[in-house]
Amino acid sequence: MFVTSPKLRVRSPSPTTVEFTVTTAPSHLLTRQVVTWSTVLLRLLACSSGVLLVLLKYYPPQTFTLSAHVHAYIHLLLQSISVLSTRIPWQYLLPGAAAALYIAVFAPGYTEESLLVIRDLGVQISTTTWGGRRSRFIPTNAVRDLWIHEGFCGFEVRFYLAVVVEGEEGVVVVFPTLLPNRRILELVWRGAKGCLYEPRRVGR
Amino acid sequence: MRPLVLTIVVFIAGYITARFSLITQAIDLGYFAWDHGVLGRATKGFLILSLFFFLFFIPIERIASREIGLGEFLLMGSNGLMRVFWPLDFQRNSRPGILVGWRNSELDIFVVDILNGVDGRRIAEELSSRSLYRKSLHSVERIFELCGRTELHVLGSVNEEPGPLFQPDHIYAFTDKSCRYPQIFCPPASGIDFQVILFQRPHPRRMQYLSLTPISLALEDRMTNGSIGDGDDTIEEQRERERKAELVEKLKLHSVVRPTPTMKEKSLQMIIDQVNCSHEMRQLLKENVRLIMSRRSRRSLSVSERVVESATSLWRIVLKGLMDTAKFLWPFATKLFVLMILIWRLVAETLLRVLEWRLRPELAALKDISATAQQFDIRLQQFCYWPIQYVTLRRRKADWESVTTSHPDYIRFYNSLWLVANDVIIGIALGSYIIENASGVAYQIDYYLRAYTVEGMKAMISWLMERPGGLKLNDDLGNFLGDLFLWVIDYWADTMTNIRPHLPGVIYAIGFSSFAGASMPIALFSDLLSILTLHVYSFYIASARIYNWQLTIIISLFHLFRGKKRNVLRNRIDSCDYDLDQLLIGTILFTLLIFLLPTVLVFYLTFASARMAIIMLKAALETLLACLNHFPLFALMLRVKDSKRLPGGIRFELLDTVAVVKGFKRTYGVPPLSYINLKSTPLPFGAMFHQYFQLGQRIRKHYVSPHVILCLMTGRFVPPIHRKNLYSMQYSMLPTKRAGMLELWIRLTEDQPGNGAALAN
Repeated sequence: MFVTSPKLRVRSPSPTTVEFTVTTAPSHLLTRQVVTWSTVLLRLLACSSGVLLVLLKYYPPQTFTLSAHVHAYIHLLLQSISVLSTRIPWQYLLPGAAAALYIAVFAPGYTEESLLVIRDLGVQISTTTWGGRRSRFIPTNAVRDLWIHEGFCGFEVRFYLAVVVEGEEGVVVVFPTLLPNRRILELVWRGAKGCLYEPRRVGR
Repeated sequence: MRPLVLTIVVFIAGYITARFSLITQAIDLGYFAWDHGVLGRATKGFLILSLFFFLFFIPIERIASREIGLGEFLLMGSNGLMRVFWPLDFQRNSRPGILVGWRNSELDIFVVDILNGVDGRRIAEELSSRSLYRKSLHSVERIFELCGRTELHVLGSVNEEPGPLFQPDHIYAFTDKSCRYPQIFCPPASGIDFQVILFQRPHPRRMQYLSLTPISLALEDRMTNGSIGDGDDTIEEQRERERKAELVEKLKLHSVVRPTPTMKEKSLQMIIDQVNCSHEMRQLLKENVRLIMSRRSRRSLSVSERVVESATSLWRIVLKGLMDTAKFLWPFATKLFVLMILIWRLVAETLLRVLEWRLRPELAALKDISATAQQFDIRLQQFCYWPIQYVTLRRRKADWESVTTSHPDYIRFYNSLWLVANDVIIGIALGSYIIENASGVAYQIDYYLRAYTVEGMKAMISWLMERPGGLKLNDDLGNFLGDLFLWVIDYWADTMTNIRPHLPGVIYAIGFSSFAGASMPIALFSDLLSILTLHVYSFYIASARIYNWQLTIIISLFHLFRGKKRNVLRNRIDSCDYDLDQLLIGTILFTLLIFLLPTVLVFYLTFASARMAIIMLKAALETLLACLNHFPLFALMLRVKDSKRLPGGIRFELLDTVAVVKGFKRTYGVPPLSYINLKSTPLPFGAMFHQYFQLGQRIRKHYVSPHVILCLMTGRFVPPIHRKNLYSMQYSMLPTKRAGMLELWIRLTEDQPGNGAALAN
């Protein structure tokens, strides 16, 4: 929901530490906040309306009495929802509620994927989505190589940046869900290579 | 451009030809020079100069360039990257103090603690004379060995006025109440990059620790066995593994140059160990520094203090007496306990031998047939393993708490204990229900069994005998088969009627067995189900046989029909000249069998689906058993309660340097600086249930394979999944080979002095 095309952001407080972030979030901070909160609100709305419709269909408001403290508006709201729910037959209501719940939980928000390169420590690949954050750290002496390659992804061929890990069967793809274009990848590759290893010593 | 050059060349050539005298004068000059020996002298000079050049200048240039290179190297060495590991729980005040920690290399330091109000030089002396480690419970060498260093150093000072130059062997840091992060003095002119890596100290007492690799909940030896693995469907896996290994070899050819790893890169594991030890190291330092600093003068006690003292000493005398009695009785108690364990172990050993006994090596043992025996086996093996696990965990007490090797053992031990306790609790609830309602439960079970396996079966067979769903079957064959099965069912129902009065008793016994855990009645019920549905199994076998025979006959008759024949010797189809009568008879039989096939097929389908339903039910019960026996309950609880105890690796977070620097009080120039947070990632839920996923995948791979489906369709015997594969998870918490009696005796008795010492302490 409300995502932009993947953009690269580089943070490098010192030449030995670089963080490359590819994100689909809006770049402006305020827009980002607004978008985040509005998506959360929408999710909540979808979730609660699905649950409420089913519950009020099952227990119509006549069957339970609300205490006097409950605000009149809430009562009115419940009444109107229950009127709506009585109109919709069960066979449409249940799949509809299930779909609303599914969308509320699984609809993708924005995705942020980053590659953190710290000299003498290693590289860290992380993916942050609505579902949470996954990260993996690979120490430098386990990094065999860092390369850009192309691979099939559905019906297209995409370039990807990958870390070859010592003694592991597969390569670890950097930015695995966003798979940004080659221009971005080349920038990241150059930066990461330059940062990960110490510069070649003169006179050796 | 080219025309211009051409023009110039043409112009010069023209000029020279026009001024021919210029050339003649040049030739004259040449003659003059030759006559006076100018050329010879010039050649000599050139030769001498070249000699000089080759002898002196080139070597000097080489040496100089190397020197420059060395200089550059030294420069880079000193002006490179400085790494500081800093604990986040430092005291945030502006009092002066000194930094004590590990010096992993010149530019790689690890801060263990800040000591306030002490003299730096004195601490350095104490550290080198090792008098600061005096009050340690365990050997200090051990913790030094863990951290990979031989001594602690004074690394620098806090909140003191720095000198003009930056020295990596004594850094100056500043802390302040308002600032979360330490500021480190380093003028930008020194050209050093800074990495400040902040970490939260893991608490060893709470068994928190950091680890580069995810903690493994399964036993190690089990895992290696699994990866080597042998079994029917691991051949495929083996081949796949070989293919992948080849690919990995190819992958290695791709990377051309690989820089040799530096010391800092190699020291990551050591640093993680230092992080794990830092809490206890700090405790030790704190205690000793307090001892050194407090030179309290002893004054004489006042009267009231004396009264209190004598009262407490009386109490102490009573306590001491009690302790002495306990100490006197303790060895006897432990001896008795060990003896009891050994007797129990002997009983368990005999039972296990019985369960594992096979008539012949290729035949199934008792535990392979019956779920109850399997359950007994697991429980007995657990009982055999517990003392050894406990002894291993006990040994942990004799070492620093920062030693993290036994934490997975701890989790495994308590997981299995907790599961058994849970099992017993659920079992007691279930058992009391069953015992109280034994007759009701028996009636229900009997009712459902009769309704589905006898009456339902009968109704189904009668339906099949008379044109099911309008399908026109062969009446005579259908009647024959149906009568046959009905006859057997009637006989079975008669036997059941004889058994029925005893069923409440059996249920009662099951109810009692559930006091040994809820898994027991489930396993017993699973066995009871297989016994009480024996007739369905036999029907399935019989109908499958008939169906399979008919199918094979039809296939061979089809070959005959085509004038071909199967050559068994060469395993191929040959053409064959049949006689007329052979062909005629064969064709007639072929048609007959083809028309009779649907009748047999419906019976086969019915019994096969009944059998499948029973297998499903048993699989559900097995899953329930697996959950009761091996659910990672303790690990899940730890994950919720304190996820630092279940490390799944480490994670770094780059902090915003601008925001960090804004908080600093002192205004020194800031070098290129990055603040990084080191955190522990908890073990993901997927990794906890990894074995369940693996098991599910194996079962799916086995039963949804084309081979098995073909077997089912042609009525051949469906090969059961290899038991070893199915129970690889079941035993992942237990060692492959259980320890013998003698080993147990040795382990238990060598623990004795340790116990006594622990009590004496």
